[in-house]
Amino acid sequence: MTADSSSVSQRHRIELRGVSSGYHGKPVLEDVSFVVEEPAIYVVLGPNGAGKTTLFRTLAGILSPYSGTVEIDGIDIARREARTRLQYLSHIDGIPDALRVEEALRFYAGVQGATPEDVERVVRLLGIEELRHRYFAELSQGQKKRVSIARVFLQERGIYLLDEPTSNLDPKLAREIRDLVLGLSRDDLVLYSSHNLFEAKEIGKYVLALRNGKVGYFGRLSDLRPARYVIGIRAEGAEGILAASTRKGDYYLQELAGPEEVPKLVAELAAKGVRIREVKEMENPLEDLFA
Amino acid sequence: MAEVSGLTSTTIRRTLRMGWLYLAIGTFISVLLTAILLFRSQHGGAFATTYPLELPVFAVLASTGGLQTFTSDRTKGVFEYLIAYGVRPRTLFVNGLLATMVLTGIILGIALGLGLGLASANGVALTGDLEQSLALYTVPMSFAAALFTTTVGMIWTTVSTPRTGINSPVGLAPMVGIGPTVLVLIVAETLPSSEFYPFTTGAAVAILAVVGVLLAASSRLMGRERFLSPL
Repeated sequence: MTADSSSVSQRHRIELRGVSSGYHGKPVLEDVSFVVEEPAIYVVLGPNGAGKTTLFRTLAGILSPYSGTVEIDGIDIARREARTRLQYLSHIDGIPDALRVEEALRFYAGVQGATPEDVERVVRLLGIEELRHRYFAELSQGQKKRVSIARVFLQERGIYLLDEPTSNLDPKLAREIRDLVLGLSRDDLVLYSSHNLFEAKEIGKYVLALRNGKVGYFGRLSDLRPARYVIGIRAEGAEGILAASTRKGDYYLQELAGPEEVPKLVAELAAKGVRIREVKEMENPLEDLFA
Repeated sequence: MAEVSGLTSTTIRRTLRMGWLYLAIGTFISVLLTAILLFRSQHGGAFATTYPLELPVFAVLASTGGLQTFTSDRTKGVFEYLIAYGVRPRTLFVNGLLATMVLTGIILGIALGLGLGLASANGVALTGDLEQSLALYTVPMSFAAALFTTTVGMIWTTVSTPRTGINSPVGLAPMVGIGPTVLVLIVAETLPSSEFYPFTTGAAVAILAVVGVLLAASSRLMGRERFLSPL
């Protein structure tokens, strides 16, 4: 399976061929193959246990495949040179005990080959100036996540593997992180796992859905269509006209054949004096990938 | 590599922060026992025979911070990131051992400095036997026992799920480490006096060789997933 490579910059490339990988001899991923080369955000989805974290760890060279090959820019992931081309964010903070925030970032800057100036830059970028002299263990969960994410921005590497970067974050911080990731995707390959399907729909250009350790779907998000196309209409003066519609909160639900029917419906309702405040799609096509 | 030496220096600095309590307790008890030996023995007889034999035990206790840091890093997921950034598992083991060596050096430096200083102040002569005992038993066995403790503890940590408290690698490894020290002493006591120090020094070298073999085998045979946090 290959992502659409029209208008591809060819700067970076991830290729998996027949990869089986897992823990202690027990495979979690089986015969996974795909190629990623267009700069974009690739949302990795799947229910718990589908193999998302195992996939990220295999791509990062933390787990050695039992069979198959993983190549970063044509270099086998077993070689250190391949791993210097990617940034990795685990669902675990991974900040050493007994270090203050600035020390922790300097520690990882040293490991990555980044500079003290890079540390200053990410401290400003993530807005953690007031945390820099505090011990990591003293921080709140949100602050810890912010520091953990800061490490990913210490050095530009072209390939970003982000395993649930917004889990356990409040909506405001999650939005900030998504904006940072969206900034990355203009030039870089970003693999981004999430359980939040609305977040996935918002930021992803491609979807890679895992099911039982195999690739269930890999393609453009825009190519996915929900099994039913349902819109919600929030409107005033619609009580009589849309009385037969199912209600969901403030929304009248209408099932249509597809998005092309929406303008026609809106025009008809407006002609009948309905004052439409909002129209939105109620079904997320990504939900079908979990079915 | 610059990043690896930076990694090592940071590991040692963190080990000093995390293991200072073990270091302080080990150093304090060894100095206290030294003082008791000096005050209870006339002409330093008990001091000269007992003092060199006790220090390796306290070196094992005082250097627990090296293992503590390794265990903490695995549990907190630090190793997962380091491996992703290209650090080899062998480097993680070696860093744990280097931190242990630093702690062992510190306790030996303080304990020997204070112990011998107290002895001199009390008029105890630093005999050739005492110097021989310190050089051929105390120093090599302290490093060997401490490194053995840390090595066993690190391997134990990577092949097990984490426990806390006394029933954990950090809690039990010092007792494992003291074992060879005591065993060597028991066997050495059965030998003619002329064979005592060759045996103890040889035993220290043998323990260090075991450390080397365990380290090489673990680095080569242990899957990287062993370094992942079990959390």
